[in-house]
Amino acid sequence: MASRKKVLLKVIILGDSGVGKTSLMNQYVNKKFSTSYKATIGADFLTKEVTVDDRIVTLQLWDTAGQERFQSLGVAFYRGADCCVLVYDVNSSKSFETLDSWRDEFLIQASPRDPDSFPFVVLGNKVDMGEERRMITQKRAHTYCQQRGQMPYFETSAKDNVNVEQAFEVIARNALLQEESEEYGGDFSDPININLDQDREGCAC
Amino acid sequence: MTHQASSSRDPPSPSASFYDVSDDEEGGYSTIAHANSGRGVKLLFSKSKVYVHPTPSAKDNIAGFVALVQQKSAPLASDERERPGTSSSSQSKKDNDDASKYLLAWVPESSLAQDDFSTYVKVDMKDAETPPKQSYLVPPLPVASYYDDSNVGPYAFSLPLSQIYSILVRPPSIGWWFGSIVINTKSGSSLPALFFHDSECESTILQKKRRQRESFDPFGEGGDLFWGGDVVIRWLKRYVTVERSTAEPSVYLVNPTEEDLYGFGQGRKSLEGQKSDNNFQGQKKKPPGPGMDPLTKTLKETRWKLLESFAKITTFARKTADDLANNNNVPPQMRRLLQNPEVQTIQDEFDSARLYLARWAMGIAEQSEREKRQRIFTARDVLDTEDTDVGEFELLDAVEGIPDGKRRPVNMKEWKGYFDAQGRLQITEDEVKERVFHGGLDPEDGVRKEAWPFLLGLYEWNSTSGERRAQMNSLRDQYIRLKGQWWERMIDDQAAPEQEEWWREQKNRIEKDVHRTDRHIPLFEGEDIPHPDPTSPFYNEQSPGTNVHMEQMKDMLLTYLEYDTPPSEQQKSPDLLVNSHPQNLGYVQGMSDLLSPLYAVFQDDALAFWCFTHFMQRMSRNFVRSQAGMRAQLNTLDQLVQLLDPKLYVHLQKVDSTNFFFFFRMLLVWYKREFEWSDVLRLWESLWTDYYSSQFHLFIAVAILEKHRDVIMEHLRGFDEVLKYVNELSNTIDLQSTLIRAEGLFKRFEKTVQAVDKKNNFPAAPTPEVRQRQGKGKDAEEGDKLTAGGQGASSSNDVNHKRTESQADKEKVISPELRLLLSRKIVMLDENAEAGARTRASGLKD
Repeated sequence: MASRKKVLLKVIILGDSGVGKTSLMNQYVNKKFSTSYKATIGADFLTKEVTVDDRIVTLQLWDTAGQERFQSLGVAFYRGADCCVLVYDVNSSKSFETLDSWRDEFLIQASPRDPDSFPFVVLGNKVDMGEERRMITQKRAHTYCQQRGQMPYFETSAKDNVNVEQAFEVIARNALLQEESEEYGGDFSDPININLDQDREGCAC
Repeated sequence: MTHQASSSRDPPSPSASFYDVSDDEEGGYSTIAHANSGRGVKLLFSKSKVYVHPTPSAKDNIAGFVALVQQKSAPLASDERERPGTSSSSQSKKDNDDASKYLLAWVPESSLAQDDFSTYVKVDMKDAETPPKQSYLVPPLPVASYYDDSNVGPYAFSLPLSQIYSILVRPPSIGWWFGSIVINTKSGSSLPALFFHDSECESTILQKKRRQRESFDPFGEGGDLFWGGDVVIRWLKRYVTVERSTAEPSVYLVNPTEEDLYGFGQGRKSLEGQKSDNNFQGQKKKPPGPGMDPLTKTLKETRWKLLESFAKITTFARKTADDLANNNNVPPQMRRLLQNPEVQTIQDEFDSARLYLARWAMGIAEQSEREKRQRIFTARDVLDTEDTDVGEFELLDAVEGIPDGKRRPVNMKEWKGYFDAQGRLQITEDEVKERVFHGGLDPEDGVRKEAWPFLLGLYEWNSTSGERRAQMNSLRDQYIRLKGQWWERMIDDQAAPEQEEWWREQKNRIEKDVHRTDRHIPLFEGEDIPHPDPTSPFYNEQSPGTNVHMEQMKDMLLTYLEYDTPPSEQQKSPDLLVNSHPQNLGYVQGMSDLLSPLYAVFQDDALAFWCFTHFMQRMSRNFVRSQAGMRAQLNTLDQLVQLLDPKLYVHLQKVDSTNFFFFFRMLLVWYKREFEWSDVLRLWESLWTDYYSSQFHLFIAVAILEKHRDVIMEHLRGFDEVLKYVNELSNTIDLQSTLIRAEGLFKRFEKTVQAVDKKNNFPAAPTPEVRQRQGKGKDAEEGDKLTAGGQGASSSNDVNHKRTESQADKEKVISPELRLLLSRKIVMLDENAEAGARTRASGLKD
């Protein structure tokens, strides 16, 4: 039996409006995709219990409104985050170009103890729309993630359930490492790199 | 979101009857009738109102039948697999050939054809110990080989008895009002829990009654209370051996091997004991049946009425249980029950299910409220006599004076009657507003189309119909011109590159949101015309991609952008139609939510557009870059709750929730996401009247909060839990009672302000600070133009002061923000407060 101590891992999902944050979360937690999700207003979260290396943890996935304007009010839930997921739409350059801003916004608002080691995971969503619509190549995204502290990168489709499970597995693991490093005073020097050799299908990390 | 792959099955957009709400259920319900199998299976037993609860929310519960069916031939040999790691099946009283012929099944009501439904009901109502002599055939049911979480849903399943390893039986108990069973398969998975809603199940009710009549004992033999799950175990016992585990009393093993029995705590001796129990059940005092424990039985049957009342407040949180246990007004039996360790255990065990319980408690409370108001009153009376609570009765008293006739909707005939031959209002504006506030407008007869432009301030109340016609003609021209302005700029590439880029960006946002706004409304649902813009992500060569109403929505929102954005120097020209008070908001999420009801009701783009500009006059503070307007409203809500329900406020403080962020969505789009479509229209027309206050929507917020205050105070222990709970209220809130409660709250608020003012007119020794603040409040009230600008900055100071004050000397001070709630003037942001777009430190800008 796993340890009875309950671990709650808080994960914040950020990215431009319409990149598919709500859809990714729902695909992962509820195994459902709908074309009729409304634009998220305010914030909401879903929880899912998962096992990470024999530990049962509860993931609390926070979904936020994508419009920048609404960020200033909803910072209450940034605090205490264990991992931040940055989502963009591979068919929209703009959503890719704002990733830095989202990352900075998060670091400013959440002010984690050690910003340099804080785990981010990048998801390039909507890969199901076909190569002819794609604006950001896998290579470009990959280079971007490498340059910023080797952020793990996954190309996903919430619609076709591509790579969603795999991405959240890494998210959960990195969140757990972060949680533990906070707990024990930050002795884990680099929790991010753990997953670098996890080369999953559709992911060229 | 961008893929409309299913568009082929989408109906084209109708042009009328758009009021009707049709729930856009995803996917079809699977039917259980297999096309490849013409034969049916024999229905031996069935029980109705057995639910699957796929989510904690009661509204998602799926009603169905649990049934025992017999199929003609034994299925494949794979069904005969041995129990893992066992030798031979011991002492099975029926052999496994038999067991594989019989299937335990669950089938949702919604998947049954009418005839089959009747058959299930007929067999249920037979209520016999033996299967019916006549053969009742029903379509065969899909056999569950394994069970996967993602399938919780409206799907039928069945399982040969030979494949059942055990059944987890949970009689109705304190934690679980509905008794349930969970079938564990030999392959090691569990089928979804089946909940017996005994109070809805005709046959169970009849059986209970019969028992009572025959034996004068509702508890049946041996003192177990009869419930639906009993019956299922009894069915099974006809065909297989069912043994109750001694180690895990809630586990019933089906055709167990010796190892199984040993593993579940039965030594040989006890096993024999069990066996004889089975054989002589009727004579034993305490049979091993899955009955309720006496504790629950007492709770449920003897004291259930009292319990229901308590549920409203207590829902068995330990703290309250303790309170109750120590309360001398509570009957001694009840007190004993609550001190019982088992009750405590149940509380702990379901600690993680607190949210579920909270919801459940609310359901029970609502039910008992509907049944009889006094019960709640009794319980409240017992537990809570302090005057700091907002009593439901007090609230209801306050609005009792409103005659029922005033709560009847205003129809077209009544509306026309308000106007004279020239189309000029012949009663007072206030009279109209009072009627609309209390009664709303008839949703069917088109009166909304007439009345909304008045309520939104587009038409002057004292205008004639001729004047209004002239006004509309001119406005139609202006709309076309405004629309032409951005249109031409886009076509001609006249704009500066930077501006063009911004415009394109805005257009993308609008498009994204329009395609996900109210698509469940028939008007916006279908896609039947090709997308006009090949560069759009919604463009698709193979399928239509949009409809005319979505295109109209995009045009109106872009035109609003044109209207609301100050022109650049190079654009300025004498021909350009310019709004003298642009807010320069840009398109912000939520605007599409505000526009769509207007467009749906008017189905006239120019009229909808101009009404929208008026609606936006009061709503624009929600959308400004600094979010000062939202901050100010959340802050006012904070103060209002402090004043009206300090106990609840203290709890919210404890759980870090006084930012009131969980009301953000409700305030931003005026409850658009919380109520169903038809209720949104009704709510908005009440709010537009400004009958009591231009900010009546904040009283709606408190009304919603009050409705759930007990649950919030008992169960919710953190910001995340409060947020989740409040978010999930969406589509569960009853509008009419909320409006009435909000009205009561307003009156209470008004009285409180008057009382404080009266007291302060004869002050003992008011502090200079208090006097100064009151002065400020008066200014705001008397000032011709009400502004809330800069509140975000200044008010936080006020609140801090107020908090320390109220904690120090308990003196109630009416802050300017609260006093503003008594005003019917629309609150607008100070134009200067928003000077210049702000760029955030992170570089995020919009």
